[in-house]
Amino acid sequence: MSIHRPSKQFFGLRKPVGRRQRLLSALGIWIVFFGVWVFAAAAGLVNELLVPAPQQVFATTFDLFYGRGFASDVLISISRVLGAFAMACAVAVPLGVMMGSFPAIEAIFAPFVSAWRYLPAPSFIPILLMWFGTGEAPKLALLFIGVIFFLITLVMDHTKHVREELVETALTLGANRGTVVMKVIFPAVLPNIVVAMRQMLAMAWTYLVIAEIVASSTGIGAMMMRARRFLKTDEILSGIIVIGVLGLLFDLLFAALHRWAFPYLRKV
Amino acid sequence: MANGSALEIRNVSKRFDLGKGRSVTAVEGITFNVEQNSIVVLLGPSGCGKSTILRMMAGLETPSAGEIVIGGRTVDGPARDRGMVFQAYTSFDWLSVRKNVEFGMKINGVPAAKRRAQAEHFIKLVGLEKFADVYPSQLSGGMRQRVAIARTLANDPEVLLMDEPFGALDAETRWLMQELMVNVAEQTNTTMVIVTHDLEEAIFLADKIVFLSSHPGRVKEEIRPAFKAGKRIDDKEVVIKLDGYSDLEGHLMHLMREEGRGLE
Ligand SMILES: Nc1ncnc2c1ncn2[C@@H]1O[C@H](COP(=O)(O)OP(=O)(O)O)[C@@H](O)[C@H]1O
Ligand SMILES: [Mg+2]
Repeated sequence: MSIHRPSKQFFGLRKPVGRRQRLLSALGIWIVFFGVWVFAAAAGLVNELLVPAPQQVFATTFDLFYGRGFASDVLISISRVLGAFAMACAVAVPLGVMMGSFPAIEAIFAPFVSAWRYLPAPSFIPILLMWFGTGEAPKLALLFIGVIFFLITLVMDHTKHVREELVETALTLGANRGTVVMKVIFPAVLPNIVVAMRQMLAMAWTYLVIAEIVASSTGIGAMMMRARRFLKTDEILSGIIVIGVLGLLFDLLFAALHRWAFPYLRKV
Repeated sequence: MANGSALEIRNVSKRFDLGKGRSVTAVEGITFNVEQNSIVVLLGPSGCGKSTILRMMAGLETPSAGEIVIGGRTVDGPARDRGMVFQAYTSFDWLSVRKNVEFGMKINGVPAAKRRAQAEHFIKLVGLEKFADVYPSQLSGGMRQRVAIARTLANDPEVLLMDEPFGALDAETRWLMQELMVNVAEQTNTTMVIVTHDLEEAIFLADKIVFLSSHPGRVKEEIRPAFKAGKRIDDKEVVIKLDGYSDLEGHLMHLMREEGRGLE
């Protein structure tokens, strides 16, 4: 006789899902997705030219990297994202922290920053092209504009949420304003800044692709636009997959950075 | 207590501006002294202005009238001579317990060796020596308050200000913390001002109770628990059984009751 255990439901209402079930579920949805794709391609349900089979897309991806120097396009795209993103962070993080710490600084910059947030960054593409020509500058500028104003606002909001008691504790320990900002407010808000950066990096990828599709001869987006001219749907889909995988990798990287840099946030 | 005053509150009032021309008078004409090395408890019903008075002592609020004097100087903003412990947890989560306790000394330029020794001493004093190198998030609420107390004391303030420091703790931990504070006061000779609305806590800790009435807060009565005969006793069970304890508790209860009625 086995001990009677209450049976565990697969669809338990608001019951946490075990590790195994979560893994299987995640695998399952992707297997279904690719299954449908493979089947549709094999059964001739879709136009072969417009929707190549997944195995062909993967073969093309492989070929792009090993036969046709796609890696250099990928590297160019990555360095554009990271370069522009680093510049945006270098401005947005200090400025956001200062705006969140000093209402007087917020009063100066907030009206400016929030106005810019309502301007979609791609609307600057024509003028950026006129100002900067076709080099790296307009792409970096687009990414910079697309990211910085949101990042400033996010960092400022997180900074404002640092608890007043922490600030007042530091003041009554004899800290001056500068010390409070550097030694209390900044370390307190840093984990949230990293989270905000993680969100905004995803946005930077979006603008990168826009910039490369509209005005570039190098990078992943440009490769996809070239492929379109030659009706190479498999290469376009390869580009999409690579962009997706890169986005995922950077997201995981940021998650790992967060875990590594802030061990004190781990649940015991 | 023939000692001089560590802190003098002289005819202090505080109005808060609520905007649109409205304002509220939180406390009015507050006058009392905090004698050197004594524990003064500010007691009164919720909303009577205890926190406001304490925050003005800390320099976190500015009196609308009157002045607060420490060591002959008028208080003007927060400084290390008046350390403050809040009801909410204030541990710096990104620093270990030891680094938390060293924080004040570090920003005030105390040399590393002295810092370490001081931190060691105060960590031991509050009974956290086993937890010196863990992060505050791994500690219970009571332990976190111990960190805050050790951090403030290690910074060597003239006066330790505490705003309902044990209000968020369960009864048993609160009791332990109260006994700890009596011990700490005895061993460090620190002057303390403690805000509470808990009668028991007030009687147990106080060398002097300043009872406040509400709306606006005024000093209703200054009470020295005579039954303790000027001694500090760090065992709550003993204190509760002393002659005179229940009389004082009854008296304070009566005062509280009166204030409660005043609201209706
Ligand atoms: N920053 C503030 N702005 C406006 N009113 C305040 C502020 N701080 C306190 N008050 C008012 O002052 C009175 C006393 O508050 P407080 O000092 O917090 O009382 P207690 O600590 O005794 O509960 C209350 O009526 C409260 O609403
Ligand atoms: Mg209060």
